[in-house]
Amino acid sequence: MNLIGQALTVVRKDLLLEWRGKGRLISVLMFGVVTLLLFSFAVGPDSTLLRAAAGGFLVLALLLSSTLGLSESFRVEQEQRAIEGLLLLPVDPIALYYGKTLSNTLFLMLLAPVLTPVALILYSVQLDLKGLAVLLGLWTLAAAGLSAPGTLYAAMTSRLQSQDVLLPLLLFPLVIPVLMGAVKSITLILTGDPMSQVGSWAALLASFAIIYWSLCGLLFPHAIEEGI
Amino acid sequence: MTRQFKWDSGIGLLGLLLLFVGSYIGLFVAPSERYMGEVQRIMYVHVPCAWNAMLVYMLAFIFAIISLWTHRPKWDAATTAAAEVGIVLNSLLLVQGSIWARATWGVWWDWDVRLTTSLIMLLLFAGVLALRSFVHDASRRATWTAIATIVAFVDVPLVYFCVRWWRSLHQVQSTPDTVAPMMVVPLRINAFAILFIAIWMMTQRARLELDRRRQDQVSEPERLAPIGGSNNA
Amino acid sequence: MPDGVIIGGWNYVIAAYSITAAGLLAYAWSLALRRRKFRTQEEG
Repeated sequence: MNLIGQALTVVRKDLLLEWRGKGRLISVLMFGVVTLLLFSFAVGPDSTLLRAAAGGFLVLALLLSSTLGLSESFRVEQEQRAIEGLLLLPVDPIALYYGKTLSNTLFLMLLAPVLTPVALILYSVQLDLKGLAVLLGLWTLAAAGLSAPGTLYAAMTSRLQSQDVLLPLLLFPLVIPVLMGAVKSITLILTGDPMSQVGSWAALLASFAIIYWSLCGLLFPHAIEEGI
Repeated sequence: MTRQFKWDSGIGLLGLLLLFVGSYIGLFVAPSERYMGEVQRIMYVHVPCAWNAMLVYMLAFIFAIISLWTHRPKWDAATTAAAEVGIVLNSLLLVQGSIWARATWGVWWDWDVRLTTSLIMLLLFAGVLALRSFVHDASRRATWTAIATIVAFVDVPLVYFCVRWWRSLHQVQSTPDTVAPMMVVPLRINAFAILFIAIWMMTQRARLELDRRRQDQVSEPERLAPIGGSNNA
Repeated sequence: MPDGVIIGGWNYVIAAYSITAAGLLAYAWSLALRRRKFRTQEEG
């Protein structure tokens, strides 16, 4: 089996697991919705303020939910030491990394269809279909950017005692470019983009994703060469 | 062994001497700047700290690549030392920048490109050392430190450009031709002073790391010693 | 004298220099302490 085939097998395995036990997706979704709700309480019922901050809150909900999803993605493997079996299989570690990263990206993309409408309703933002399509594109780029370093660090921290602290500690400063890019561009989509700046922010998100997909793919085999 | 490595104490002392000379010139000889007045004298420690923090982080990045490549303990020690010294210089940089912001703009914090980037940089590398402190196995600790250092360093230019875009407003950097010669001299002297001090700190820190690792390797058989001893008896 | 000139500010300068000196000294001190602690451990 070639690399892509192996990676897709890993994705299929993860999606199958996800489908059989829908618990993870549902609880992370619930977490995202609760976060969105909490943000509106932090700002107060001022609808203009809420509308201005809607993009930021939406992306923060994604970011906060992502650490839960990411750390779960390798905790599943640690249970019953499944990861040891996975590493014993003739699977290229690079294929394992890209499979895991892709399934994490898909997982984070699945948050969009729920979190976006909730945010639009709670923060009373109007959005047409074209804007919605662009938002989903930006969301995908952000999800890809978050997953690349997130999968690497989730793999590394999955067996450490303080994973729940360490993963956000490592990941949050690292993904600040993703956060800024996504917040700026999604806010522009929601509140209007007179200078048409969305393109350059999307380019930034895309370059972050490309850089970290390549870099972490190179580093992942080293990270797991002594097992995780 | 201590006699063999005297060179680094020499460099450290030289750095200290240069720091005194450079700061003396910066504080008492150099003229006060036209607009900034006396406050500008902060630059003579601030800019050297900034240059050297970047340089030391870059060294950490290079050492990390070599460490990942060779798996030799000395390069792991060098990576850790550079990351830690970088964090020290970076923290000083932030405090100086904050004082600078207070003196010139009247606020302790400003979302200036360089100030914001250096704060994020500090958090990035502090994360590396935090990860390191949680890994007990020596060779895995070395690999993971190297990986985290590489991942963190690659982020620095991205963060810089991002913050620059994020803040549409950014101030003009001072151009060399507006700077008087007596302002360049203390800047250069202090740049080398901090560099030498940083080298001294890195060598000390790296040696500490190597000593610790050696002790870990020694203490492993010692813990097993009772079994071996009972066999002999 | 041009507008917007900052007058005085020596206290900021002194604060910046002393914090820098204190920071460098504190780190050097911590290095020395850690190495000494290690040496006594090794001997003990």
